[in-house]
Amino acid sequence: MSALSFPASRGPSRPGGLDTGLTRPVPGVLLLVVEGEVDTLTAPALGEALGALLEADPADAVAAVDLAGVGFLASSGLAVLIRAAHRAEAQGRALYLLGGSRAVTRPLEVTGSDQLFTLLPGLDELLARVDGDRPTGRVRRPD
Amino acid sequence: MGIEGPSGSVTKGRRRVSEVDPVGAGDGPGTVETPGSVVEVRTSASASLIPTIRAVASDLAARADFDLDAISDLRMAVDEACATLVDVAAPGSALRCTFDVREELIRVHAEVDTGDAATPVSTDTFGWRVLQTLADQVELEANGSGIVGIRLHKRADAAPR
Repeated sequence: MSALSFPASRGPSRPGGLDTGLTRPVPGVLLLVVEGEVDTLTAPALGEALGALLEADPADAVAAVDLAGVGFLASSGLAVLIRAAHRAEAQGRALYLLGGSRAVTRPLEVTGSDQLFTLLPGLDELLARVDGDRPTGRVRRPD
Repeated sequence: MGIEGPSGSVTKGRRRVSEVDPVGAGDGPGTVETPGSVVEVRTSASASLIPTIRAVASDLAARADFDLDAISDLRMAVDEACATLVDVAAPGSALRCTFDVREELIRVHAEVDTGDAATPVSTDTFGWRVLQTLADQVELEANGSGIVGIRLHKRADAAPR
């Protein structure tokens, strides 16, 4: 694990709450780890965290969201994920969703929005998939 | 039926058809002959209490042997309905959510007082389309008195998507 790992919200997880943290598991891969419940109260925090993920350097990093710790996903949460997928697409890259349980995959499937993402079981599968295709990290965002 | 209890109270009782038919409207005769369990949850109309209500929905569906997709759908539908209503509820008012647990079906009715007969609830939203997809039947009720309700039905076996 590299140095960058910070909580976006304080305090212990609680029912109805949400914690997010941006990590760099390997060079060229940005992973947003999300834990808790994504509903009308917490969706804005997820939206901010997704924004930070898609703005982080390197700009051509593989962008992934670990949803294994998400126990609920409301339409408000779907909406911010869909916006992030469109934004990633506009940047010319995919948005990977990792480890979603039924609480995550069911809303995605029911609404057909699973087509917007690449869903994978976990980080190992992501690394296997993008191995050799990862950016060098030399591309910097213009200031 | 205990609905006048303190904020956040949950009461459960055997349905008495002669006394209350909170979510039976719109169905043909005969359906009221099967008494089910009625659970009413009344909270402050606050988004922070919706996790409690959707947990009740999820629990009831699990106990009624709903399949896992149907449990997930009901939980999300109830969350969506409550979030929609809390959004238009008058400050300091209550959200009242009734679950009528039948065989193979849960009927949900949620309502709030908007305090203003003219308060609109838009059904032209992403959330409402999701709600229509999740529930087997969904209906918005606004009678012009300021009370706005959402009625939805969910069957125990989720349709494959």
